[in-house]
Amino acid sequence: MECVVQGIIETQHVEALQILLQGLCGAPKERIRVHELCLKSGPNLGVVPSEVRLLCDLAQPTPSWTVRHVGGSMRGAGAEQISVLVRTVVESKVGNNALRFFYALGYKLDHELLKIGFAFRFQKGAPITITVTSANKMPRLHATDEAVPVTPGIQLVEITAPAAADNYNDVASAVSSFCEYLAPLLHLSKPGVSTGIVPTAAAAAASLLSNSGGKTI
Amino acid sequence: MENIGGVALPQGYQPPPAAEGVAPPKVERLNPVVQQQLNLESVKTRALGLYKAISRILEDFDAFARTNSTPKWQDALGQFSMVSMELFNIVEDIKNVSKAFVVHPRNVNAENATILPVMLSSKLLPEMEAEDNTKREQLLYGISGLPVHMQIEKLKARIDMIGAACEAAEKVISDCRKAYGLGSRQGPTLVPTLDKVQAAKIQEQENLLRAAVNYGEGLRIPADQRQLPTSLPSHLVDVLPFGDGAQNLGDNSGTYVKNNPPFSSNSVNTQGVLQTPGGQLIGRSVPSPSNAAFDNASTPPMAYANSPRSSTNIANTPSPQQQVQQQQQRQKIMQLPQHQQPLLVQQQLRQSSNAGVLGQGSISQLHDITGQTQQKFQQITGQHQMPYSQPMLQQQFQNRQLQAAHMPHNIAQNQINQGSQLRSHLNQFSGAANSALFNAAQTSPNSQMITNMSASMQSQLPRMQFGLTGGHPQRNLQSQMLNDQMFGMGGSNPASMVANLQQQQGGFGNIPTNTQNLQPGMVNLPNPTQNPNFPQQRQQNQQ
Repeated sequence: MECVVQGIIETQHVEALQILLQGLCGAPKERIRVHELCLKSGPNLGVVPSEVRLLCDLAQPTPSWTVRHVGGSMRGAGAEQISVLVRTVVESKVGNNALRFFYALGYKLDHELLKIGFAFRFQKGAPITITVTSANKMPRLHATDEAVPVTPGIQLVEITAPAAADNYNDVASAVSSFCEYLAPLLHLSKPGVSTGIVPTAAAAAASLLSNSGGKTI
Repeated sequence: MENIGGVALPQGYQPPPAAEGVAPPKVERLNPVVQQQLNLESVKTRALGLYKAISRILEDFDAFARTNSTPKWQDALGQFSMVSMELFNIVEDIKNVSKAFVVHPRNVNAENATILPVMLSSKLLPEMEAEDNTKREQLLYGISGLPVHMQIEKLKARIDMIGAACEAAEKVISDCRKAYGLGSRQGPTLVPTLDKVQAAKIQEQENLLRAAVNYGEGLRIPADQRQLPTSLPSHLVDVLPFGDGAQNLGDNSGTYVKNNPPFSSNSVNTQGVLQTPGGQLIGRSVPSPSNAAFDNASTPPMAYANSPRSSTNIANTPSPQQQVQQQQQRQKIMQLPQHQQPLLVQQQLRQSSNAGVLGQGSISQLHDITGQTQQKFQQITGQHQMPYSQPMLQQQFQNRQLQAAHMPHNIAQNQINQGSQLRSHLNQFSGAANSALFNAAQTSPNSQMITNMSASMQSQLPRMQFGLTGGHPQRNLQSQMLNDQMFGMGGSNPASMVANLQQQQGGFGNIPTNTQNLQPGMVNLPNPTQNPNFPQQRQQNQQ
């Protein structure tokens, strides 16, 4: 299971956000370049098509593959009161023949996405990962070199933290409190709920950049 | 040896009355009550006593070490406990008083023992003291001679004057700001509002982005544009299945091995998984049933009325006309190039359906159909046929005969009987082919027959008679044969059979669909282990 929130930030403020996160998390950022292939199952695998995502990490010299299945999210009155989305997730490292394997099972490529950005890890109550990426689409199949951003001016910020059935409340509150730190720059919400940008973002970004003296980290 | 116990020295441990008493400036002294409570003298005495005790113990240990004699641990521990108790008491007493002090050291040891008195002293540093004095003189320059309350009043008046001056300055500044249009000082702190148009644009972009990341909207390439680029990114080069594009490839299923090169599906199978050219049992000619050379252990007894070995013994021998027709059809098929075979097969099947006979030609066609169809429709599961079928070739030989009995599309008894007769013709095909045909033949309306057919066919014709339900007296022969088969699927999968039934009614026109439909029905075949061919059959059934 994981707790997840998403938000958007204008590309011009991404650097300020990076400075803020660097200050909060202490550790340097990790680069992200992930080729995400979303596979949908064929009719031979059941009435309801299931979706599986294969993530290829291109940031390292040797690409590593991960398979990820996102399950249903928690629903109900209790879930609505939590400010983060709690959903089941199964993730695992796989070899590079995973794609062929899924094709052999009957999965078909539904869409693919290239995510380029950075990530920070923060430990407070739960291991929180903050990724700031721009989603890029490929004009031709698998043409990762020709990827263009879906929305050039806006990038996606995603905060996730793994949770278990017995501690998701604590993890959710940890994530929420972390989101408070980012309040001047962006609003975060459950995936699917749009937030808009924060009016104070420009001022906050300016102050962050000036404080750091424009130092690139 | 010193400070071993880490005794916390009280703040005023060495009261400096003697040192500072003579200094003219006032010395800040501890509150006398606190001082009394602190009872510095007694603390000093106790600390000294403790120090002596500890040093005595250490001397004893030293003596023990020198004389190499074992100390009496009981005594030593007792002494140690006494010492630690005393220390504890001292510290407790001091703690009671330490509340009067804002800061007190947590730990005193050799490092900070000397500097602590200085750090704890509340007396100002000399520089600070001098500075303090100069400032005071400046302040009280003119009034230092006056009594205190006068000094206070004068200072108050000064403060008021300064306050008034500040207010006047503020007013002037704000008037000037207004006059020059600079706006109020609060400007930067106002929350900037977004332009509505801009906000709408951003909202739209946000929706696009969220939809793209979460649901993949706007990222799907239409199917016609989904061709693999000639140059793949490096991480996909050896990952994607070769050849056929990004979509899953279910190919190579129908590539059963055949003697006749035109039938050979190896060339069609790009996956190359199952068909190894020239590899395992490809193109091997299987001995015809008439040779009675069954490699399999379970040789069907000759006692069966419709033993495949004696094709002439079939109860309802197909009419010679049908036989010829079938043979012709088969020959035609064999001569055709591979890719044309499906069409021809379908045509032939239609013809035979018209004739109401699913003769040899049909069966062979079905072989091809299943193979071709699988290739065409890229069904993945069909892949499994080959690997199993090949090793089973010898065993399948027997099955072939039974397979022939499994008329896929025609329920008629004639067909079934002809099927058995066709076995001799089918012998040419590899066991896999027979299996394929067998699977194709699953769409018999007779559910029991279907199950039996799908079962491995070690016994040949006898199986076919298995489980023929009433209403089809003609089929009894075959059903009995099927019954003899240990495989005995009959009646075990009513659901699948119903499905097969329904599908079969589609007629020959739907050969491909029938073939496909066979598969779900076939999958359910239970009957695990009795027949060694069964696994193979099952695999084949999963076309």
